[in-house]
Amino acid sequence: MVEKQLTRERASSWSWILQAFTGVMLVVLLGLHMVVQHFVVEGGLRNYEQVVQYLSNPFVFLLEIAFLIVVTWHALLGVRAIILDLGLKPATERKVTAFLSIVGVVIVAYGVWLSATIVSQGA
Amino acid sequence: MASDVQPKPVKRKPMEWFNLKGKRAGFWAYVVMRLSAVGLVLYLFLHLVILSQLAMGASQWDNFVAMAKSPAFLLLDVILIIGILAHGLNGIRLSLIGFGIGVPSHKLMLWLAVILTVVFSIVSALAIFSEVK
Repeated sequence: MVEKQLTRERASSWSWILQAFTGVMLVVLLGLHMVVQHFVVEGGLRNYEQVVQYLSNPFVFLLEIAFLIVVTWHALLGVRAIILDLGLKPATERKVTAFLSIVGVVIVAYGVWLSATIVSQGA
Repeated sequence: MASDVQPKPVKRKPMEWFNLKGKRAGFWAYVVMRLSAVGLVLYLFLHLVILSQLAMGASQWDNFVAMAKSPAFLLLDVILIIGILAHGLNGIRLSLIGFGIGVPSHKLMLWLAVILTVVFSIVSALAIFSEVK
């Protein structure tokens, strides 16, 4: 019983550290995203041609995907924290974690598909 | 006996976020953190759905861009930025405290986060609305 509790405590502090870590990464990645997508763009928002041109840069492509992975992870860890605060049974908590993990993978897959589609469509 | 004094993790159901009676500033920060979190997650989903218009070609996207530059839409952008700043600045504070940095000045950092949120929100709002012609 005690051991099980310890394992769970450790697991919850793990998710907290991950949340803080992805949070700090987001300060940088979201900052970059805002600057390149809005501040340096005439009128504040890229038109279709500008999006294609910008995303065709492989470095930018990887940077935006990295941003998507980190922001999705951070967001779903947050959703998980709110749900787990409801005081669920450990088995239900595991199901919540599994479900949110699948949601995360689907979101990132969608983002990669969308970005690749935009680049291959071209201007 | 030692196990009795270990701190218990605080678990609050969403309804308790709104029970602000007799709560200190730190609890208000917690509520702002949770509410902005929910808002930002909803925004993230909305943002990803809207970006799917890019897959439908130039005219579809450029129509959206024209709409996104309307004053009503820009007001939503300002609300989004307020949410990001409040969540991000308080998040930096929580991360520092969590790793044991600056714990004695947690209250100072809280007010610093509030002041910076207000200042940067005003600067952003001015920058955004200066684009309106």
